[in-house]
Amino acid sequence: MWKNSSLRCLLALAILCLRSLIYSQEIGSLGDPQNLKCVTHNLQKMLCTWDVSSRGRRGQTDFCYTTNDLTPQVCFKTKERRVEIPIPESSITVTIKSSGTATKEFVIHQKDISFVPITPHILSLMPDFPTSTLNLKWSDNGSVFPYGLDALWQIQILRKEPMEVVTQVTYYSKLTHEDVILSWNWTSDMPLECTSHYVKIRCYINATQFVGSKDWSDWSPTEVIPGKDTEPGESGVFPLDPVVAVGSDLTFCCVHEEDQRITNMTYGSKSYTMMQLSSRSHAIRVLNANVSNSSGTNVVCRLENAWEGSVVFVGYAPDTPQNLSCETPNFLIIKCTWKPGRPSGLYGERRTKYSLFERTSGRNVSCEVSGLNKDHVCDFPVLPAQKTYDFILGVSNPIGQAKSSLLVDITQRVHPKTPEKLTVTENNSTSIQLRWFINGSFAEIRLLCQLEISSSHSERKLQNVSTPGRKSSTYTAQVNELHPHTKYQFRVRCSDADHFWRWSDWSRGVEQTTSEAPPARGPDIWRERSPSGENVIVFWKPLSPSESNGIIVSHEVSCYLLDMLLEHKVVLEPSNSTEIKLGKSDCVISVVARNNAGSSPPSRITSVELPSDNVTTDQAVAVGNGINISWDSYPNMTCGYIVKWCHSSGSEPCSVDWQKFPSNTTSVVIKSALFKPGVRYNFSLYGCKSMGYQLLKNVTGYMKELPPKTAPNFIVEETSSDSILVKWEDIPIEECRGFFKRISSFLCKGEKDALKPRLSESGNPELKVNNITDLTKKSMKILDLQGKTSYQLELQAYTAGGLSPPNSLYVVTKEDSVGLIIAILIPVAVVVLLGVLASIFCYRKREWIKETFYPEIPNPENSKALQFQRNICEGNKTLKTLEMNPCTPNSVEVVETQSTAPKIEDTEMMSPAAETTVPEDGSESEMENHVVVSYCPPIIEEEISNPPTDEPGGSSQVVYIDIQSMYQPQIKPEEEPEIDLVTTAGYKPQMQLSISALKIEGHSPVEEELDKTAGYRPQANTNAWNMGTPDSPGSVESNNENASFGSPCSINSRQFLLPPKDDEDSPKPINTAWSFTHFFQNKPND
Amino acid sequence: MAAADSPSAALRRRDLCSRGIRLAGKMRADVVDLLDAYVEQQGLDASASVAAVEGVPLAAVERWDEQTGTQRLLENLAAYRAFRALLAQMLEEQREQLGEADAGLGRALAAVLLQVSAFAYHLEELLRLESRGIPGEEEDGPPPPPRLSRFEQKLRGLGVLRELAHWAVRSERQLAKPSPASGAAPGLAESP
Repeated sequence: MWKNSSLRCLLALAILCLRSLIYSQEIGSLGDPQNLKCVTHNLQKMLCTWDVSSRGRRGQTDFCYTTNDLTPQVCFKTKERRVEIPIPESSITVTIKSSGTATKEFVIHQKDISFVPITPHILSLMPDFPTSTLNLKWSDNGSVFPYGLDALWQIQILRKEPMEVVTQVTYYSKLTHEDVILSWNWTSDMPLECTSHYVKIRCYINATQFVGSKDWSDWSPTEVIPGKDTEPGESGVFPLDPVVAVGSDLTFCCVHEEDQRITNMTYGSKSYTMMQLSSRSHAIRVLNANVSNSSGTNVVCRLENAWEGSVVFVGYAPDTPQNLSCETPNFLIIKCTWKPGRPSGLYGERRTKYSLFERTSGRNVSCEVSGLNKDHVCDFPVLPAQKTYDFILGVSNPIGQAKSSLLVDITQRVHPKTPEKLTVTENNSTSIQLRWFINGSFAEIRLLCQLEISSSHSERKLQNVSTPGRKSSTYTAQVNELHPHTKYQFRVRCSDADHFWRWSDWSRGVEQTTSEAPPARGPDIWRERSPSGENVIVFWKPLSPSESNGIIVSHEVSCYLLDMLLEHKVVLEPSNSTEIKLGKSDCVISVVARNNAGSSPPSRITSVELPSDNVTTDQAVAVGNGINISWDSYPNMTCGYIVKWCHSSGSEPCSVDWQKFPSNTTSVVIKSALFKPGVRYNFSLYGCKSMGYQLLKNVTGYMKELPPKTAPNFIVEETSSDSILVKWEDIPIEECRGFFKRISSFLCKGEKDALKPRLSESGNPELKVNNITDLTKKSMKILDLQGKTSYQLELQAYTAGGLSPPNSLYVVTKEDSVGLIIAILIPVAVVVLLGVLASIFCYRKREWIKETFYPEIPNPENSKALQFQRNICEGNKTLKTLEMNPCTPNSVEVVETQSTAPKIEDTEMMSPAAETTVPEDGSESEMENHVVVSYCPPIIEEEISNPPTDEPGGSSQVVYIDIQSMYQPQIKPEEEPEIDLVTTAGYKPQMQLSISALKIEGHSPVEEELDKTAGYRPQANTNAWNMGTPDSPGSVESNNENASFGSPCSINSRQFLLPPKDDEDSPKPINTAWSFTHFFQNKPND
Repeated sequence: MAAADSPSAALRRRDLCSRGIRLAGKMRADVVDLLDAYVEQQGLDASASVAAVEGVPLAAVERWDEQTGTQRLLENLAAYRAFRALLAQMLEEQREQLGEADAGLGRALAAVLLQVSAFAYHLEELLRLESRGIPGEEEDGPPPPPRLSRFEQKLRGLGVLRELAHWAVRSERQLAKPSPASGAAPGLAESP
């Protein structure tokens, strides 16, 4: 498209020419006026300037302009190169001719004109140091513009050294064809004292109809607010004592002398990092400040030789008052109360202040409130002829303010003051008059007053009294229907009767006791015949305070028989019964109660008691809190029923009580505060007829059954060998404490001294339990007992309330005498029979016996005795001890183990040492003192000197370790002295022993004969030994309990010659005595 | 010693001195307690350095034991009169700043103010015994102090209490110690 370069050049030249024509219609050549520029500041006139060569600068310039062809050209001469001419609507043609130059013509279009507002000037810049606020004022110069325009103002704030822009804001305004002073506030985040603050401003006018270029004005001259750091000698911490809201971010600065050095800066107790503002000013920044204490938070700047500081008070703006309420106590003042809400945390001169503003009257009252958290109160005067009040409660403190409003009609918000001077005057015993005073002007309303009447005998009563209000007046009220002789407390409170708002406080109470009046009714009476039947006892119940109407001083009892007074008695208080001598006759008894004011109406009752038959006695136990008594309906009981009961506690006489019931009653519940659990009460039901009273029924009852206090006292009346007869007494009624259900006996074997638990709780399987439910029985026989046995017997009584403590004793059954007699008689009879038989036998065979045993010429070979002896010696090989071979005469040798003992040839010789020196330790006696008594002839002794090892049975030695107490189970007591002589002599010759044994055991004559010739016999009664022979291998190694070390024993038999002392199986002397009786017992262990 | 001739005057002086010693001792103890409470309540540091406060008389006067008894009495009287005014001002500031809060500190301040007044009266009695004229108080009182910042008030209060404590010690000693002129009688009561 652009192939030819010459064409391109031409086009460029043309564009340049065209531009030249557009921007400046310069006509002329070089040296002529040129660069004509026009700028407007007010959109009405423009200032045009141009350049000329040095040649044309001298002399005057002819300046002409014309806006169109119709208007004439305006020309004038000027020496300057600037003229002010009107802004054309579309264009203007200007011709300029300087001296010595050609005339130059310019055509200026509106779009060629620039619009630059006049540079604004700051009229004032005012600092507010406490709030760190700058106030800037300037004029908008709006009057210079032909029409209203939108203006933008750019404000720049700078501080520090060197200056830094802190903020730059744009402010909008409307130009209204007038000069308006504009104002703008700026709050610094740093106290203005800390360092200098600089402010400048410029303007931009948004002239939308102006088609030329628009631009910001120049910046105004800078205004400065000098900081304290610029003032010589000034120092301190800023801001000074500010009051700020909780959560604020705070900047504190310390201004000091140039040569002073800051050690640190603290807020409260915390040190903060400092930033330098200038050579004389440093600052700290505290974020989110907490509420300070009452004396404020100290900000301290510690310099080298001094402290500078400020105190900051951090708190809350006041809370909106809550529950604002206004009322009048007296139509003189209006009392407004409210709750302050959250405490501000500011005190003293910074505290929250309240004011009450009434909009209708425009009256404002400053409120002095005291107390930190209590309800606040403010008084406002009642204004004449104003009922409605429109209150605004204003609240303010240095941090903020709040308000609360209330519209109130005070005639509907009356809260009268507390009534004063309450007095009481008695009219009569049932009526009084109250008087009180209320301070206030209540003439426009009616008062409703409430009287509180209370006494100890009745519930609190309230009585309302409505009365016209008066001005500071006394009010009265009558109170009737009071009870005579009663102490009353009265107090009063009042409110607005027409528009109830609140009661006043209760007045101080006053007391008044009414005077006495005659008793309201006669006493409740009853009568009973005395046990002798000669007298009638009259009972009456005391009247209640509400009935007595005073203090009863006496009762008058009269007895009438057909209107004839038989007897009259006056019974002084506090008696509640009296006795009238009536004999067998009857009368009508009248009782009257008297107090100081008069007598009661009489109460009457007849003394007649109608005969009754088939009177039953029931039992009753309370259900709930009373004892239920019911009966069948008796149609002929025309005047009701009476239940009478009697309760006594221990030794006191029976106290009669009664209750009357109408005739249609068939069931009642008798209640009394005097009823106690576990106490028996006897109730009697009487029916009332016109003729008199008839006993219908008796009831025995308990309020609650308890366990009997004691068990029955009992004795064992009879004891046999297999039974006992137990008899017991009745438990006293006071100790029964309920109806008996049964009596239980518990029987078990037991010794008296043994410590045993209760039988009923012992769980003993042998426990015999007998329950007696037939309570008429007073005795019991317990069978199947063992004779001569100790038993423990317990008795316990049961009621529905539980079990009594046990009563126990020990009883021993008698011996079984029949068995004992049989046990004695049978052996005696057998012995006698045997004796008789033996006598008869001997008598009949006396010749044969004589021939055989006592021949006139004895033949030794025919001697049976000798044969018997030989048989023993030869035939019985097993019984080594009885071995008589070679049947040589015995000799006894006592052998000392350590020294050669002298041979003891006398068989009756005993070793005194063996008797007297018996050590307790058997082993020692074995080593030192044991004596070997040899029963063998010298040939045997040779065997001892050469002891055989294989045949111990060859030895016939007996080793006596101790022969002190030979076991004598069958010895009778009367024979003991003789036996002692033998048994205490140590070794005994065998013959003697056998004699003793014979006496005891009663051997047959054949055996007796054998024993006489037997020679040696074992040292112990082998019949009594139950154990196996110690020769048996098992018994040697056995650890038998019967082993008795240290006991004398035979070498041959190794049988212990003395039984162990603690051998249970061995019979004891006492048990020997028991043997017969035990023989007849059923159980061996018994 | 105009009054020294009379035995009853000597007895009276001795009685006044002994009571004055007790009063100064009690005042010292109470001021020390108050100082602790004040420092804590005002959030100050016990080590705070307080420059000499205008109007607060300094107790630390060099060679005070070279002064005569009457000079000492007069100096003491002037000091306690100044303290009385300063404490009253502190009390007023306390009420302004705290209102009903921290009433305990206000009560303690009032109690010390009472003791200072009593001690000043006591000094006047001693001076009367010396038959010396009692310097009159300025009827207009001291010129109102410049408006201080709250922090300055706190520091000034601290300075007043510290200096009062020092003065209490000094007064106690001076009442107990003989002056160079007498050598036996209590120092404050001696005349040159």
